[in-house]
Amino acid sequence: MSRSRPSLVGAIVLFASAVIGVVIALYGYLAPLTGITGSLGALLVVVTSALLALMAIVLASLRGRITRSIWRVLILFALAGTCFAALLLHEWWLCAAMGAGLIGLILDLAAPGDRGAIYS
Amino acid sequence: MQRLVAIAALILLTTSGAALAQEQSTPNKQSAPKANQPAQSDAGSPGPKKPTWDTFHGQLNAQKYSPLKQITADNVGQLKKVWEYHTGDVSDGSGKRPATVWSATPIFANDTLYIGTPFYRIIALNPATGEKKWSFDTHAKLEALTQPALKSRGVAYWQADEPKPDKACQKIVYIGTMDAKLYAVDADTGKQCSNFADDGVLNVDQWNTINNKWPLSLLQPPTVVGDHLIFGWAGKDWVYEQAPPGTLFSVNARTGKREWTFHALSPEMQKKSGTANVWTAISADPELGLVYVPVSSPSPNYWGGNRKKDVPLGTSTTALDVDTGEVVWSRQWVHHDVWDYDINAAPTLMDITVDGEQIPALIQSTKMGFLFVVNRKTGEDVWPIEERPVPQGDGSVKGDKLSPTQPFPTKPKPLLDQSEKPNIWKLADAVSGGQCSRLWDKLEYRGMYTPPTTKGEGAMAFPDSAGGVQWGGVAFNPATQTAYVNTSRLVQYIKLYKREAYDKADSGSGNESGFSPQKGSPYGMRLKVARNWLGMPCWEPPYGELVALDMHTGDVKWRRPVGASQQYGFFMPESWGSPTIGGPATTAGGVVFIGASMDSKVRAYSAKTGKELWSDQTEAPVVANPTVYKYKGREYVAFVSGGNTILKDQVGDQVVVYALPK
Repeated sequence: MSRSRPSLVGAIVLFASAVIGVVIALYGYLAPLTGITGSLGALLVVVTSALLALMAIVLASLRGRITRSIWRVLILFALAGTCFAALLLHEWWLCAAMGAGLIGLILDLAAPGDRGAIYS
Repeated sequence: MQRLVAIAALILLTTSGAALAQEQSTPNKQSAPKANQPAQSDAGSPGPKKPTWDTFHGQLNAQKYSPLKQITADNVGQLKKVWEYHTGDVSDGSGKRPATVWSATPIFANDTLYIGTPFYRIIALNPATGEKKWSFDTHAKLEALTQPALKSRGVAYWQADEPKPDKACQKIVYIGTMDAKLYAVDADTGKQCSNFADDGVLNVDQWNTINNKWPLSLLQPPTVVGDHLIFGWAGKDWVYEQAPPGTLFSVNARTGKREWTFHALSPEMQKKSGTANVWTAISADPELGLVYVPVSSPSPNYWGGNRKKDVPLGTSTTALDVDTGEVVWSRQWVHHDVWDYDINAAPTLMDITVDGEQIPALIQSTKMGFLFVVNRKTGEDVWPIEERPVPQGDGSVKGDKLSPTQPFPTKPKPLLDQSEKPNIWKLADAVSGGQCSRLWDKLEYRGMYTPPTTKGEGAMAFPDSAGGVQWGGVAFNPATQTAYVNTSRLVQYIKLYKREAYDKADSGSGNESGFSPQKGSPYGMRLKVARNWLGMPCWEPPYGELVALDMHTGDVKWRRPVGASQQYGFFMPESWGSPTIGGPATTAGGVVFIGASMDSKVRAYSAKTGKELWSDQTEAPVVANPTVYKYKGREYVAFVSGGNTILKDQVGDQVVVYALPK
């Protein structure tokens, strides 16, 4: 049986949000006069946003309820941490992107197949 | 959530790590005022009555005040950047070239904005567009000969009373270099003035004849009073017991010929000690014929056994006759200074009305967070300045003789509360497993002027040499008789090491912090910021404030945190404020402009209430005062965004100018 559609949508939303996050964070790091140009903090959120994109891809391919649950918790921490760092960097849109990523995670969590055996 | 943000912010916060130090004592040694001085100037201020910003502090009276009213508290929120200019003269210190520190207030004169850079170039810009008119390169050595960084506080401007249009060098721009050269350049063309000194260059080091251990670095532009160019010099702090003794020179603005030399140290003390130099700006009252000189502390900075006799002009404000350099009066603000409490800013001259009496006054800001207000004709107190007993040594430091008392102003109240050990920031303590508490237990603090010690981790320096008020000084609105000043609240600690112990302990110095040998004296020293291992300050915020003072009464009108601290890009809550270097400017439009903070923003505050009205992001911390000028009917505000590694490890080369939309 193939993966349920809602779960895939969740991963896609999460991936898209993370990619947008990378773009926003890169802009903050590279563009002049952002207030965080060239800063370690901006570089940190570039990396964490990129990691989130990778985590979304992995999420889409993970099997096993426990493994997926653990992975979701890790993603949740990454989302929260990146959003928090974004707040301290005054990167409001980056935090909003992480909010969108959270929606993706919720969609993934709410996928019908996830309540039982998703994969077979 | 806000609490969570605050907690994490704390974990990330580090503050400036360092002592702002420079070259460098007992009671009020005043001489009588000159009998033939002219009557006091008009109410409000000595100095120009029209908009002027042609010196480092705007005007010779150092008020940093503009009577312009186009930009007001009501419309300042609409300010837009109209141009910016990048000089290219910047270094982050990562290569062979030292980092740049750029504290140059732009000079507006001759319908031109003149900039001096830390590569010792002059750039003349169109004030409306930022288009370059000309530039001049001194080709100075870009080496840290005295200071740890390439530093400049800009340029000075002079013009003849009646400039002849066809003749060169009727208007001159001057810039000094770290290798002690003073260059004179035609303000219209950027060509060197051949009639000035040696083909346009004055080698000031020719007068460096005693304890010549470094060149007399000319980082602060001269103060121009009539045809006099008056300037001191900067050197190295903390390194030597015997160092070049503090001298101030007056040279002719046209020819560079030396007119007089002021010595802050007696001939005997010149050999035993050194410094007590003048490295910062000087203010002047041409009507009284006086210049007001902020004198730094003698060497070595943290032990004074070589200078047990009075050094009456050290760490003082001294009024000199502008024509002769003779001392008219002097007030010493720290007796026998062993804390590096250099007087670091030009006093601000102001005519104030106190209890119905109009007083020609000046206010001297200090690293200690004290503001001393005296009559600028006589040096006498406006509000009582009391000699109070201060802590004496614990016996661990030998051979020194501390002053039993120090001057304390009664009004205005100290900007910082130095009466007790600052409270430990509990979170910083908790996060570090009690590291802050343990440090506090090992630090001696018995209030202001606790002397250095060899015991424990040393003596707490609060405020430290980087704290209190720095070279931005005090701005003053003569119409409302309100003074504005930014202050930093930093805690450091000083430990002295006996020579052998020092040689073992010395692990090098950072940017004006860490270990320094005080060679020749029996003690080396170490200065550190009181932080935990995460870099969090061990003391409670706020770290910097902007304060408005009613100069009729000496009372605080309002005070508020200024700017935001920032580390690794992370902004801390603005309620914590930021340590500040640089200073304010104020206008008749009811606005106070200031950069100065770690977050590299420039801001406008309501002069009446202190409310923040506008801000913009710049390239690096703005560590100079802003410039306010009017050109072709439009009011502009200019900032130099150059940074200072003492405040934050971020440098810039940006000149940025704002105005209201057309």
